[in-house]
Amino acid sequence: MSKRKKVKDSQIFKRLLVYLKPYQKEFIISLLLMFLVVLVDLVPSLFIGKIINIIGDDVMTVEAKIGVIITYLAGFVVILGIALTLNYKQSVILQQIGEKIILQVRLDVFSHIEKLSIEQLNEEPVGKMVTRVMNDPDSISMMFTSVVINLIRSALMMVAIIIILFVINVKLALITLAVVPLVTVTAFIFRKFSRKSYQQVRDNISSLNAFLSENLSGMKITQIFNQEDKKRNEFRIQSRKLEKSFQKEILVFAFFRPITYFITMMGLVAVLYFGGKEVIHGVLSYGLLYSFYNYVERFFEPIQQVAEEFNNLQSAYASAEKIFSVLDKTPTVQDCEDAVELVDFKGHIEFKNVWFSYLPDEWVLKDVSFTVEPNETVAFVGATGSGKTTILSLIVRNYDIQKGEILIDGINIKNIKRDSIRKNIGQMLQDVFLFNQSIKDNITLNNDNIELKEVVAASKYVGANSFIEKLPDTYNYMVLERGNNFSSGQRQLISFARAIVYKPEVLILDEATANIDSETEEIIQTSLKKIMKKTTMLIVAHRLSTIQHSDKIIVLHKGEIKESGSHQSLLKQKGMYYNLYSLQFDEELKNQNSSNN
Amino acid sequence: MFSKHFRKILLKYSIFFIIGIAILIYIDYVQLDVAMYLGKIIDLLEEKNIVISVQEEKLVEYIVTIIKVVLVVSVGRILWRLFLFITSRRIEFELRNKMFNHATKLSQDFYSHEKVGGMMTYFINDLSAVRMAFGPGIMMLIDSIFLGGFAIYRMFKLNVNMSLLAIIPMFGLIVAMIFINQSMRRQFKIRQEKFHDLSDFTQENFSGISVIKAYVREAYEINTFSRRSEELYDMNIKFFKKSIWVQILTTIAINAVILLIIGYGAILAINTKGLIGDAVFTAGDLSTYIAYFFTLTWPAMALARFLSIFSQAQASAKRLNDFLDSEIMVKDIANPTLVSSLKPSIEVKNLTFAYPNNDITVLDSISFDINAGEMVGILGKTGSGKTTIVDLLLRVYNVPNDTISLGGYDIMKLPIKKVREEIGYVPQDNFLFSDTISNNIAFAYDNLSDDEIINAAKLSDIYGNILEFKEGFNTILGERGVTVSGGQKQRISIARAIAKNPEILILDDSVSAVDTKTEETIIKNLYELRKGKTTIFIAHRISTVKNMDKIIIIDQGKIVDIGTHKELLKKSTFYQDIVKHQTLEEMMGGRENE
Repeated sequence: MSKRKKVKDSQIFKRLLVYLKPYQKEFIISLLLMFLVVLVDLVPSLFIGKIINIIGDDVMTVEAKIGVIITYLAGFVVILGIALTLNYKQSVILQQIGEKIILQVRLDVFSHIEKLSIEQLNEEPVGKMVTRVMNDPDSISMMFTSVVINLIRSALMMVAIIIILFVINVKLALITLAVVPLVTVTAFIFRKFSRKSYQQVRDNISSLNAFLSENLSGMKITQIFNQEDKKRNEFRIQSRKLEKSFQKEILVFAFFRPITYFITMMGLVAVLYFGGKEVIHGVLSYGLLYSFYNYVERFFEPIQQVAEEFNNLQSAYASAEKIFSVLDKTPTVQDCEDAVELVDFKGHIEFKNVWFSYLPDEWVLKDVSFTVEPNETVAFVGATGSGKTTILSLIVRNYDIQKGEILIDGINIKNIKRDSIRKNIGQMLQDVFLFNQSIKDNITLNNDNIELKEVVAASKYVGANSFIEKLPDTYNYMVLERGNNFSSGQRQLISFARAIVYKPEVLILDEATANIDSETEEIIQTSLKKIMKKTTMLIVAHRLSTIQHSDKIIVLHKGEIKESGSHQSLLKQKGMYYNLYSLQFDEELKNQNSSNN
Repeated sequence: MFSKHFRKILLKYSIFFIIGIAILIYIDYVQLDVAMYLGKIIDLLEEKNIVISVQEEKLVEYIVTIIKVVLVVSVGRILWRLFLFITSRRIEFELRNKMFNHATKLSQDFYSHEKVGGMMTYFINDLSAVRMAFGPGIMMLIDSIFLGGFAIYRMFKLNVNMSLLAIIPMFGLIVAMIFINQSMRRQFKIRQEKFHDLSDFTQENFSGISVIKAYVREAYEINTFSRRSEELYDMNIKFFKKSIWVQILTTIAINAVILLIIGYGAILAINTKGLIGDAVFTAGDLSTYIAYFFTLTWPAMALARFLSIFSQAQASAKRLNDFLDSEIMVKDIANPTLVSSLKPSIEVKNLTFAYPNNDITVLDSISFDINAGEMVGILGKTGSGKTTIVDLLLRVYNVPNDTISLGGYDIMKLPIKKVREEIGYVPQDNFLFSDTISNNIAFAYDNLSDDEIINAAKLSDIYGNILEFKEGFNTILGERGVTVSGGQKQRISIARAIAKNPEILILDDSVSAVDTKTEETIIKNLYELRKGKTTIFIAHRISTVKNMDKIIIIDQGKIVDIGTHKELLKKSTFYQDIVKHQTLEEMMGGRENE
């Protein structure tokens, strides 16, 4: 392990300790209990030795022997009882600590992700974030409940056994200890080899998988270019390389385990030989030698276990690193300290010379200025990439602008609490997302303050009521994953109702009518006309028919405002809007023709 | 697991398996000798009526024997690991290659319904599950049968009554464990479901995060998440407590048997002390017996693990078999027409086509001719059927007999290799391999000279870009290399097709991501290069196809009209509409309405 990695690991470990801290007391109790368990665990071997010793005793009578044996067995039972009780307590405490840590880490990660800005969330695939929340906390908890505890247990076990060995016979104990460096060195050498071969295996697996996934996706090209043989050869070479590295790994393991077995057995043989001599010379009883033999056997177990725990440790570190990389992300858009709530929101929006870019120096909005008065309806028109959608997402402060000012009710947007803005501005997004819950909950988003009455009213208002009423459970009807049991038009209507039920002062519609059938569009058109009179509305729409009735139409081109005015005045200008309009008008005519055919 | 696909490979390696298994069985038997000699040493040391020197001599003799046994066991363990595990990897290797070979033969109708991710699972998880069964699985099975069997056999040889006393409760325990396990599994399933619920909730929350943020519902979601994770916590603790109870009960049961053995054995030893004959049970016998009993732990565990490995492997083997059995739909007919060269002319006659397992007619009785040496544009909207035509010309799918002919031969009767050899193809998605640029361009031929590669790059107007990369033509593309823009990809992909220098060149919407100037350059170069050879341009922009010898317009799977730009401007209203539309669009500077 490189030095830098070690430093990093110790930092990670320190951060992880924070999660253990609340359970410090329980953890220590669990350690103490474990200590007792280890001790109690070691007693039976001594008893068995004693019992075997008694068999060969020539002084005692048969009855006395049996009496002593029964006493020992009774002792065995008592100790077993104690051990099990302690063990139970210890395991439960430890498991509870582990599960609580999982709970805490999971909650922390989830809450943190909820706070990140949309921009940051879009960078990360959903699957990966779910893994961060669901799986990675487990390996962190493993760190304490398995890795640390087992290391301590192993150490305790070894120390306890060594003490017992020395008490039984110093000479034999020293002989046993002489084997330890051998086993350790073997384990060390093995670790070196195994890590190297493991790394090779990992690398080869991932490059083979990359090759596979690429070539399965591009099989059509390979086939069309008649290059199947070439690809088969390439695959064979990769596959062979992987197999070779596996063989190396097998070779390392094939030697390590038997060699360790051999060394520890030699230790045991040495104990038997020298111990046997001691017994022959009357220094040691053969029963104690038996116990000694048993202890030495158990002495070497932990050494092997430590090597295995090492893998768990690595995966815990890897998971911790991933989790911390999420937790270390600060939301790019944050409330400033003296941010205010919007009180008595009117719906006045002003852009003053706004410049904005997602990437440095690639301006998406260039010096954009406009004003939206309360209850006005403003539409944005332009080609893809002209900056329409960007403007809408700036109004709800999904991003911070680089230059200029955005004023909401005359207050700079940066000085308003973000939640407060979003509560007052309803958004109907192009990409409708429905949750796997009832229609009602989808409309209220589980807000208990909204009554069913209001939900029905909102649905009626947007024209969603008619199809919801026909469903078996009406508003309690379950929406399947991603709304798969509804047409895109119906989904859009539900999402519309969702926007309305929150009674926003400002309503944003981003391409809300892009993917729906003309029938639904008509329904939405009708309700939009109703809403236009009551609220401030900002619309981005592809179909110009949606926006004809707006108070103001702003035409954007490559991030700049080119034209603005009402539908009629823009048509008179015969500029971009006029062209756009005639283009669509043409298409509509054509569509009508083809549908008539 | 022993189907025809596996059998051949297994048979090939059977000798290694047999040797490995034989060694393993031998080791299983021999390793128990250590316990036997331990007992003998104990007995030797217990003996008091014996000369010390003789005792020491005997001790050395036993010790040497144990060392020998340990040595044999160690070497044996190394050997069987090598034989079994390396063989299982060999089998995996062969199977993997076999699977990939099959994958290269499968036609596109397979790839269109099978996701790459799913196929990857065959190669990763299923293959590994099968390997596990042949490597560690076999080892565990042998160990549980033979090590377990030998230990029990030796126990019975030492003392029958005691063995009955020990084994019968153990069998009881195993039966009890089977029942307990069933109930535990149910519990585990409930727990697993809770976990999945939470996982689904998280997944959904993250997918719909824009809605949650738009309506400021984060706090509620966090609350719900917290409540649900606590439920999972309770479930986990409950499950854990149950499983620890099971563990305690097992420990009690096993220890009860140990107590029984020690008590019974000790009393037996005391009572038979000093006797001679078979009935004698010594202290050494007792220690040997205890050691045998402890040996049984591994075979019991191994059996349980083997069963789970085996059942997984069976399911995986079935999936692999299904994959290897999946039919290759597009293949040569029994006696294909062998031709040395094909005239690059194409004749499509009354071609009606629907994708396999799909009723929707994509092409509806279309007919057209392309003469050798012509430059032809095929124009149509997205979804009109353009790409399908290309796929069919390349024999990616089967077509009815005598609907498409190349150089006068029915495409269905020609060898597929020959058809594809004649055609150069620039795909719509511009798939490139994560390899060097020069290897990508020279994909069709291994022995292409550098000059030819450079020439192809120049003709497709990518040469300058390539030189800008630090590694030039040796720049590696893709994930682990340089990311190139869509336009650069398209041009490299054009160079790849040009380098093949085919009799027929098909470009499927291949200049959509390059700017107008580059497009003009490439088309100009192609006019020069393709003299006397056939070139087909699929496009949706008029500018691309305007100057071609022939323009074929298709819409909704039907041919609308065929002619030159001039002719079409005169006779086709459909064409006029497109022209008008695209001119307006250009004025708006947007290309969004395809």
